[in-house]
Amino acid sequence: MPPLWALLALGCLRFGSAVNLQPQLASVTFATNNPTLTTVALEKPLCMFDSSEALTGSYEIHLYVLVDSAGSRNASVQDGTKTPLSSTFQQTEGGRTGPYKAAAFDLSPCSDLPSLDAVGDVSQASQILDAYLVRVGANSTCLWDPNFQGLCNAPLSGATEYRFKYVLVNMSTGLVQDQTLWSDPIRTKWLTPHSVIDTWPGRRSGGMIVITSILGSLPFLLLLGFAGAIVLSLV
Amino acid sequence: MAKDDSTVRCFQGLLIFGNVIIGMCGIALTAECIFFVSDQNSLYPLLEATNNDDIYGAAWIGMFVGICLFCLSILGIVGIMKSSRKILLVFTPNLFLKQMLERYQNNSPPNNDDQWKNNGVTKTWDRLMLQDNCCGVNGPSDWQKYTSAFRTENNDADYPWPRQCCVMNNLKEPLNLEACKLGVPGYYHSQGCYELISGPMNRHAWGVAWFGFAILCWTFWVLLGTMFFWSRIEY
Repeated sequence: MPPLWALLALGCLRFGSAVNLQPQLASVTFATNNPTLTTVALEKPLCMFDSSEALTGSYEIHLYVLVDSAGSRNASVQDGTKTPLSSTFQQTEGGRTGPYKAAAFDLSPCSDLPSLDAVGDVSQASQILDAYLVRVGANSTCLWDPNFQGLCNAPLSGATEYRFKYVLVNMSTGLVQDQTLWSDPIRTKWLTPHSVIDTWPGRRSGGMIVITSILGSLPFLLLLGFAGAIVLSLV
Repeated sequence: MAKDDSTVRCFQGLLIFGNVIIGMCGIALTAECIFFVSDQNSLYPLLEATNNDDIYGAAWIGMFVGICLFCLSILGIVGIMKSSRKILLVFTPNLFLKQMLERYQNNSPPNNDDQWKNNGVTKTWDRLMLQDNCCGVNGPSDWQKYTSAFRTENNDADYPWPRQCCVMNNLKEPLNLEACKLGVPGYYHSQGCYELISGPMNRHAWGVAWFGFAILCWTFWVLLGTMFFWSRIEY
């Protein structure tokens, strides 16, 4: 498999602006358990904002999550002055009233990316996972912890469609520099009740029917034989 | 039927041969049932919790049936050699009793020990998954597809499946917890445990069933002959 960065660089259609790109679900052959009941693992925006030229200065990527609804395609993540929204999970009721910020991380330079094949090496696994994907809904305790500071990446709801967006923020000005489109709706899973599992073993096998019929008729014949023996001895 | 007739001698010989076979089969049935009951793979708690462990009860019965068969065959041989009616008559009611015992329908006893069964099942599965490097019945997707007691106890973000499904290092810790939760190949066990459970149980249970059946078929003919002999010999 060719290095990751080469694949992504080839996938970029326009130089400089990432306006036409969408956040993608992490590769299904890499993260097989995705999406789950309460989490979604997305690929990080590698080589999306800086495919043509490296960015100078300090930048951060902010991830926004929104429940899919009629007007969600055009929902905005910045206010009038191009400052990114700082809404939380609790404030937006889990993304239902508007987008909330789920995660923020540094931008990795486009040329400095590990290969996914190396994930088999235990010593590199954490680093590769951290560089490649971000798991939305990974923090199950922050909602109940009154002392929690920072972004609460709380678990999502099941059987709900969510949209995601990456925003490039210039840390020196604090303003939105670039952003991707909203992703296609991604639906979390739902659980089937275990009571509907059918435990009927199926139709009787041939062997069982043979055994039962033979065993059923033998004692009857035996009884006949016994009765006959009694009768004959009395005669 | 005079006692010294050559045909009588021949018939006696046949019946004694039949009884010898019954005696040997009785010993073999006892041995096989002891093997089944001793539960070499420690899978009995799983069978017990399905409320469908009739085959286990049948194996216990088979054990005593085997012993009975052996004792009765000795009795039969002695009785035929002495051509005594008194001894042979003891043979037949016991055989009817044995057949009834082997085929009784198990009325499930009132279930007032769920906790015991739950503990047994939990311990068995924990041991199975760790020991045989498997997860669930069909695979880890069992935990993701269906509701379960496990799911109500543990949230999906932290425990998409039990920890025992993760590949462990020498300290019995997951190699990489995040990779296990995401389902990265190599960090969790993707195959199910069903083959490992059903294999031994199927083979041993069918061994008990078929062997018992074969003995009964054989015994039927010996009994018929014995009754005929009984009705014909003089006092």
